[in-house]
Amino acid sequence: MILVIGGAYQGKMDFVKDTFDITDSDVYNCDKAEIDFSNRCIYKIEEFTALCDDPIGYFETHQDEWQDSILILQDIFCGVVPMGAENRAWRQRTGRLAQYLSQEAKQVSRIFCGLEQRLK
Amino acid sequence: MTYFISGGAKCGKSSLAQDLSVALSKGGRHYYVATMISTGSEDNDRIRRHLADREGMGFETVECFRNIMDCLKIADKNGVFLVDSVTSLIQNSLFPVEKNYEMDLAGANRCADELVEFSQTVRHAVFVSDYIYSDAERYSESTEIYRKCLADIDRRLAKTCDTVIEVSAGQPIIHKGDLCI
Repeated sequence: MILVIGGAYQGKMDFVKDTFDITDSDVYNCDKAEIDFSNRCIYKIEEFTALCDDPIGYFETHQDEWQDSILILQDIFCGVVPMGAENRAWRQRTGRLAQYLSQEAKQVSRIFCGLEQRLK
Repeated sequence: MTYFISGGAKCGKSSLAQDLSVALSKGGRHYYVATMISTGSEDNDRIRRHLADREGMGFETVECFRNIMDCLKIADKNGVFLVDSVTSLIQNSLFPVEKNYEMDLAGANRCADELVEFSQTVRHAVFVSDYIYSDAERYSESTEIYRKCLADIDRRLAKTCDTVIEVSAGQPIIHKGDLCI
């Protein structure tokens, strides 16, 4: 599994398309509390974590399905602690999932202004 | 040589950019492109702080609030240009004070195009921007448009500049090219 992280609008998807020969038909856009891992590339995992209470548990349960996937997760961990309890919980769930996934990943790339920084 | 520098608030971007600009000038002309339109005493204080920071460094100040190519009407393109900041230029263009801050997307796009043209026209430039992309906040639509506009020009400048640096707690992280001059 390859994990691609980075802030909003930094070019994560463009990097994945350029580097791994991914097209739109390979991409699953997260928008609910479950993920269809039959697509090669899973995008906007931060939208999945916004809706799923136990994202690490979910990924563990489906472990066999994403071993060869490219996972794209927005880095939402660096701002001011959000005022709303819901956003605070979202931020924490997402950060914990990022740690779990980066441990499992064979490659971790952070995208900064369109440029790759290899973290693992 | 062209440099693109970004990072969080108060991380040392401007200091690094100033030092780089002076070093690049090798005693020649170096310009500080002042981009901020003051909206009151808080801004005036910031401008005063920045002025004090630059004192004795030999910068000539050129005021430019939107279209950066206008600088070349008065400044020598063989000099060094410190553009601090890209954020201000995009903000001034996207939300023009004269139009009561009503969004002007075409103005912001023109501003971005001129920044890229400028980076390819002058001999040396150091662009400073702000990294505002890693928080867990659901912003309003106009704020998201602003973030996207700034991210787009950041990426274009990062592509065209020789060196790209992220500054964190005063320490440079080199993403592209070389810091030494």
